[in-house]
Amino acid sequence: MAMRGIDFAKLSLMDALDLAILVEDEAQERYEEFAAQMDLHRTPDAAKFFRYMVENEAKHGRELSARRVQRFQDAPMAVSRTMIYDIEAPDYDAARAFMSPRKAMEAALASEVKAHAFFEAALPSLKDAEVHALFAELRDEEILHQTLVKAELAKLPPDSGLSDEDFVDEPAPQ
Amino acid sequence: MSATGTCEYQPKDYKSDLKPIWCPGCGDFSVVQGIYRALAAIGRAPHEIAFVSGIGCSSRIPGYTTAYGFNSVHGRALPIAQGIKLANPDLLVLAAGGDGDGFSIGGGHIAHLIRRNMDITYIVMDNQIYGLTKGQLSPTSQKGRVTCTSRFGSLENPVNPLLYVLAYGAGFVAQASPTDLVGMAATIEEAIRYPGFAFVNIQSPCVTYGEEAQQIKGLKAISESLAGLGHNPADRLAAMDLAQHYGEKLHLGVFYRNPEPPPTYGDLVKERQALLSKDALPKERILDLFIKK
Repeated sequence: MAMRGIDFAKLSLMDALDLAILVEDEAQERYEEFAAQMDLHRTPDAAKFFRYMVENEAKHGRELSARRVQRFQDAPMAVSRTMIYDIEAPDYDAARAFMSPRKAMEAALASEVKAHAFFEAALPSLKDAEVHALFAELRDEEILHQTLVKAELAKLPPDSGLSDEDFVDEPAPQ
Repeated sequence: MSATGTCEYQPKDYKSDLKPIWCPGCGDFSVVQGIYRALAAIGRAPHEIAFVSGIGCSSRIPGYTTAYGFNSVHGRALPIAQGIKLANPDLLVLAAGGDGDGFSIGGGHIAHLIRRNMDITYIVMDNQIYGLTKGQLSPTSQKGRVTCTSRFGSLENPVNPLLYVLAYGAGFVAQASPTDLVGMAATIEEAIRYPGFAFVNIQSPCVTYGEEAQQIKGLKAISESLAGLGHNPADRLAAMDLAQHYGEKLHLGVFYRNPEPPPTYGDLVKERQALLSKDALPKERILDLFIKK
């Protein structure tokens, strides 16, 4: 995960809200990509779970957008997607063809852990009290998201002990 | 449109509606994101960009952008990109492909674009394997590598892409990796801004046929930032020294940037055209050139 050109000490509440929206937007887009990849590679159960994550991220994005509009109406956004990378979005490297639902959920869980670590690490640099409160709230929400994913994981039948790799054919000469 | 009336592009403006068909986990997903970001930072409209590729997994990349794209012939991205640039010098021209496309079948073309200093950015997604055709040895595969075409291990030394282009005199040479997307986007942006031939080697893992050490975790373990090492990118010999570690270490950033870029081939052509235009025949008399007097 990375950020570029953001001075946390000078972050305003509007910019912080906009960044939070962009973080959700990036995660939603990444899960959409993962779902499409799984569809293409005949991995429907993982695709279904990634679509569930798309809905979750979209919901959080909508909630944050509503708060932003209520407080700052349509004031132009001063931050952009180029400033953030992989804050709450799963790493591209986390996807695999034929991944099990368990692996898909573990990838999502790792992303929520990563997002929590990001907000936690940013807190000491924040000077504005409202921005600090927002980041603390977002950090705590990541714990809630982790709980939701863990609940989904708990619904799965016990792991067979087999790896996804066990079902993949060895590369063969053509 | 900004308050100043200039267009401001976002990475999504360069993303096409086509869904990439790469294997999930492929490094090229990050590379295309890096390209979107670099193009947004450059700020040229998609219709002002031509993106040419050869053949291979990575050569599908122009189709995933909104720029004009040409998924061309194996190994021939560079000559086609050169033709486009000469025909329409105002276009921003990018070329891309894999290590096999660039350093095996297309290996002979690189030298000529470098010596002409064509104003083209060439991005090679180097995964040390022919992935699309299911895992044969490529020109950058390590010696001893076992593949379906080297059952007992490769007997050949790999090509070193960085030394290759440095030796021919490329004015801008850099390396990037999906282990650092922000750095990769900045490197691609810098390459595009360089006035002349710019080369970016991107270590992009093949999740299906790549070896464990070549995956993201393995690459992170051998990554080192050139800026962090205090490397001076104006020092070509120091760049060549560092480039010798290709395959052992993953140096990220700019190896070499010519501090005094020579004129591009396009500049020289313009100059020549201006010089000759005084005596140029009108179009209707052009055939007179071939008539003996």
